Amino acid sequence: MERIWTEDAFPERRSSLVLLSPPPRLNQKGHCNELLVVDSPQSPVLEIGTDFAATCMITNTDEVTADDLYWTLSGTVVPKEQYTRINKTALSVTVPITSEKREWLLCRCKNVSAYVVLNKGRFMHGIFLTKGYRPGKPENLSCIAVQEERYISPNITCVWEAAGRQTGFVPTTYTLNLDVKIHCGMYNVSTREKSATVSVGLFPNHETLDIWVEAHNTLGKVESEHLKEEANWFVKTNPPSDVRVISERTFPTSLLINWAHPIDEVYVKLTYEIRFCPSGSQNWTYVPLVDTAKGIQSFRLQNLQPDTVYVTQVRCKNAIERGYWSNWSTNATERTPEDRPRSKPDLWKIITEDESTARQVWFICKDPVLSNGRIIRFDIKIQDHKDRVKNRSGELESIPVNRSKADPSPSQQKITILKQISLDDKKSVEVYVTAVNSVGKSPEASLVITEKLPTVKDLKVQRNGGQLCLEWKPPARPVSEYVVEWVSGSRIDWQREKGSTKNTVIKGSLEKFVSYTVSVYPLYSGVTGKPASKEAFLEEGVPLIGPAVKLKGKPGCNEAELVWNEIPQHSRRGFITNYTIFYTSGTKTHNITVPANTTSYTLKSLSRSTKYDTWVIASTIRGSKRGFNHSFTTLKYGTGEIEGIVVGVCLSFLFVVLLTMLLCIYKKDVIKDNFWPRIPNPGESTIGNWSPDYPLKTETPKENCLSGISVLDVDVCDGKCGSEDDKASLPLKKDKYLSEEHSSGIGGSSCMSSPRQSVSDSDEGGDMADTTASTVQYSSVVASSNGYKGQTPNFQPQQAIFSRSESTQPLLDSEENPDMLLQEGSRQSQHFSRQPSFTHTAGNEDSADPADFNQLEMEQQVLEPLDFCPLEEETTPTDGQSADGLPAALVSSYMPQLGGYRPQ
Amino acid sequence: MNGHVKSMHFQQFMEPAATLLSLLLVMAVDSTRTVSASRNPGCNSLQQTLKLTRLVEKESVDLIKTYKVSQGEMSELFCKVSVNDVPDSNISGLEPSEWIVSIFTHLQAFFPHFKRVYEQQTDLQSPTSPLLAELTTVSTRSRSLAAFISSFYQGLFPNLPVPEPAGGPTTLPPPKNVFQQKVYGCVVLKTYKEFLSNVSQKLRTLKPKVCRRRMQINTLFFF
Repeated sequence: MERIWTEDAFPERRSSLVLLSPPPRLNQKGHCNELLVVDSPQSPVLEIGTDFAATCMITNTDEVTADDLYWTLSGTVVPKEQYTRINKTALSVTVPITSEKREWLLCRCKNVSAYVVLNKGRFMHGIFLTKGYRPGKPENLSCIAVQEERYISPNITCVWEAAGRQTGFVPTTYTLNLDVKIHCGMYNVSTREKSATVSVGLFPNHETLDIWVEAHNTLGKVESEHLKEEANWFVKTNPPSDVRVISERTFPTSLLINWAHPIDEVYVKLTYEIRFCPSGSQNWTYVPLVDTAKGIQSFRLQNLQPDTVYVTQVRCKNAIERGYWSNWSTNATERTPEDRPRSKPDLWKIITEDESTARQVWFICKDPVLSNGRIIRFDIKIQDHKDRVKNRSGELESIPVNRSKADPSPSQQKITILKQISLDDKKSVEVYVTAVNSVGKSPEASLVITEKLPTVKDLKVQRNGGQLCLEWKPPARPVSEYVVEWVSGSRIDWQREKGSTKNTVIKGSLEKFVSYTVSVYPLYSGVTGKPASKEAFLEEGVPLIGPAVKLKGKPGCNEAELVWNEIPQHSRRGFITNYTIFYTSGTKTHNITVPANTTSYTLKSLSRSTKYDTWVIASTIRGSKRGFNHSFTTLKYGTGEIEGIVVGVCLSFLFVVLLTMLLCIYKKDVIKDNFWPRIPNPGESTIGNWSPDYPLKTETPKENCLSGISVLDVDVCDGKCGSEDDKASLPLKKDKYLSEEHSSGIGGSSCMSSPRQSVSDSDEGGDMADTTASTVQYSSVVASSNGYKGQTPNFQPQQAIFSRSESTQPLLDSEENPDMLLQEGSRQSQHFSRQPSFTHTAGNEDSADPADFNQLEMEQQVLEPLDFCPLEEETTPTDGQSADGLPAALVSSYMPQLGGYRPQ
Repeated sequence: MNGHVKSMHFQQFMEPAATLLSLLLVMAVDSTRTVSASRNPGCNSLQQTLKLTRLVEKESVDLIKTYKVSQGEMSELFCKVSVNDVPDSNISGLEPSEWIVSIFTHLQAFFPHFKRVYEQQTDLQSPTSPLLAELTTVSTRSRSLAAFISSFYQGLFPNLPVPEPAGGPTTLPPPKNVFQQKVYGCVVLKTYKEFLSNVSQKLRTLKPKVCRRRMQINTLFFF
């Protein structure tokens, strides 16, 4: 078929391209003008998925042939494989229609000549392809007519589903057709949506309707399935009106429901459906449809629970098999009348055991599950299990309860404390309880509190799906019933399980993050056994508060003991897995993890005099909670450290004092001799008899005399010069030393003595010296190679008398007493032996005590720096010394200086 | 003798048993036919016609109430006055084919009167008056009912000629004053309601015949 053709623009050379497409749909004849003859740009609507063929014809020109033609689709040259050369002037092409977009199909000519190039537009023609899909068959057609006031609305609304695809350029239009049979009323409405409403003027009740949808577009049309049904089949009425529920006291398990038809039966004959449920529950119970006859307006609900509020709803629909249910009516609520309790109250007990007192038993109970009314009182009777009779044996005691009807919570969840008794160990009682409401009393519940019977084994409490699951192994003794009890603080609840149960879940309302003590009690024919208990959480969380840490006592130098309180039970929100102690001095933070049962810890290896911050973290499996910081500063000195030092010093001082005292006691003689030396009585001195003219003879000292020892009369106090005790008296001593340096001692010689500085060792002596006149020469030291007493002035006159004392102190008696002199001289010669010049004689009998010797030797060494006398007393013993064996001679060597100092 | 007597007693026992068994068999057979009866097009058409008749009858009752209310005082008196030229409420014919045609003819005869009443009341009532709407509704329903009657008749008597509307023009009363119009309207409606009541009765009499088997089964179950 000729679709499009073009003609030469030039009048003299007419040419044209004619596009032919095989589908003989359109027969549009183009007309030509002088330049390009195009009848109209054809826009065929093509079905996607098909092939489209077109033919291009050359007319009125010989410039080009079919071989010079080619096709482009959306600017792309169509492959030559899709071309078909019909003849010299016609070329056809076949292109598959795949995409949804509209596009140009152009027939063009190659530039075979200048004329073609110059008239390019005239050698080109195209068609605009519009693509789409055939309409799909509408599916799932459904129509509805709702009730309006007393009638059914004449507006019938239908919905359907559009099958297949459609493009925006080839839209599908739907026509809803409604044919009212019999009197041939035909209604329709068109839309591009998938729903439509058709108005029939007056709803044709009881007439037959034929409804269908026709989908059509440029590519075709298709009809849906026909809905040919009675008109009431499409009716949806209002819900039943005036639904009322009537409670009749004589029928505690029944409620009567009345309602009114929403529409007159002459329009629609209805059937009804009723559902009801206890108030607060969403578990509706549906009355079977077979029980609700057509057209009924009342129904009696039976087998209901007494004293229970029921919510009732009714709906309706056309009595024919199919149709639309109306909405449910509004709630009609009514309470069934009361009936006497049909089940036992749930009797249980709480026992608090205190070793000091008898067991305290509280009897508690829940209302019967089938209380069938408001419980107004409980009747309780307590009997001794063995003796049958106790205090109130056989007496029925009524315990009134006041339950408010306004309380919405089920009474079965309320726990009533019936009675408290004290029960001694090994005594058992039986308790009988009945619940009473306004109609009657319940069956009797009993409980026996007796000795502890076997318990269940291996109780396990696990969380599973938001519940606490319990599992246990039954005891060997047959169990009639189990009581699962859970306690949290002061809240207690329980549930009962059959004796064959080995696992269960807690059906009560448990809270998250709350610790429950879950116990399982076996009941042996009403006798309670010993419980098995476990702590459990429905869900654990992070503790609400952290542990409050503080120091226990005072911190030490290197350690501090921390103590913290356990987190209160209600704040734990989980099992404490451990505590972590953190402490830091500012630079580095240390942490220590301790078990959950620990509430104190001693930090060690702390630094002295350092401020520490510490805190404790309590952890559960869900997380940790940090407590408050606590700061403390370690001590510089430990407790008792200062005291120890002080005590040590004191003890050391005391020891020194004691040692000194002991030394003084044991060496008192030495001290006495040194501090209070015996001063010879000058009056008794024999030096006065000494005469320079006295022929001095060198005598060989006796064997017991100190050989080669020159006695230096240095006071023994020299050994104590370093003593601190004597520091106070050091000036005086020093003076004394100075004095002694220049004075001769007993039997000693005064070396380098200065007569003018000679002072007595004793003040008294000094006084005496003062009184005895300074002119008195009380001693004269005679150096002799032979010893003190063997001095020989004649042989060594210059050495014999090299110094003298100007002391005014008289000579000691010993100096005049040869015996005494001998003794003292011997002692002093030992004490003041000199090294290395002096040698000790082995035969020194007076120095028998080696300790003394050693001590004195040490003293001597101390005194050594005080040795003022460089004189090497290698002199031979003086006459006096040599006269040891000759007391007479020695006596004569000390002559009283009656005439004062005698110049030598 | 005794044996004879026993035989006699046995025969006496067997007779009601056989009767009962036969009855049960009939019930069983009829129950199978009940399905086919319920699918009987004539029965369905009759039931639909009956339902529609009751519906129009009910609406005509409501229409009369509305009419009386809308006519003001003394409306009760209007309907007690007899008016000529109003179709008779009685159905003529003895055979179903005859009285069905009579029903159809009567229905056709009422339509002009409805139109006249509507025109008169249009002048008397406001455009939003429910009376006009109900008049339209009843008129429309009546046309549907006529179509149902015709269809039912064709289904029931396919070999008989299709009932046609009355040939000549319906005689309408001459223009009257308002009171007379009110009386006329009420009489038309009242007569129409009585006619519909008669139609219902007639159709009900036909129901056992058309829906015979099903009704028998129901009757058996009820008794």
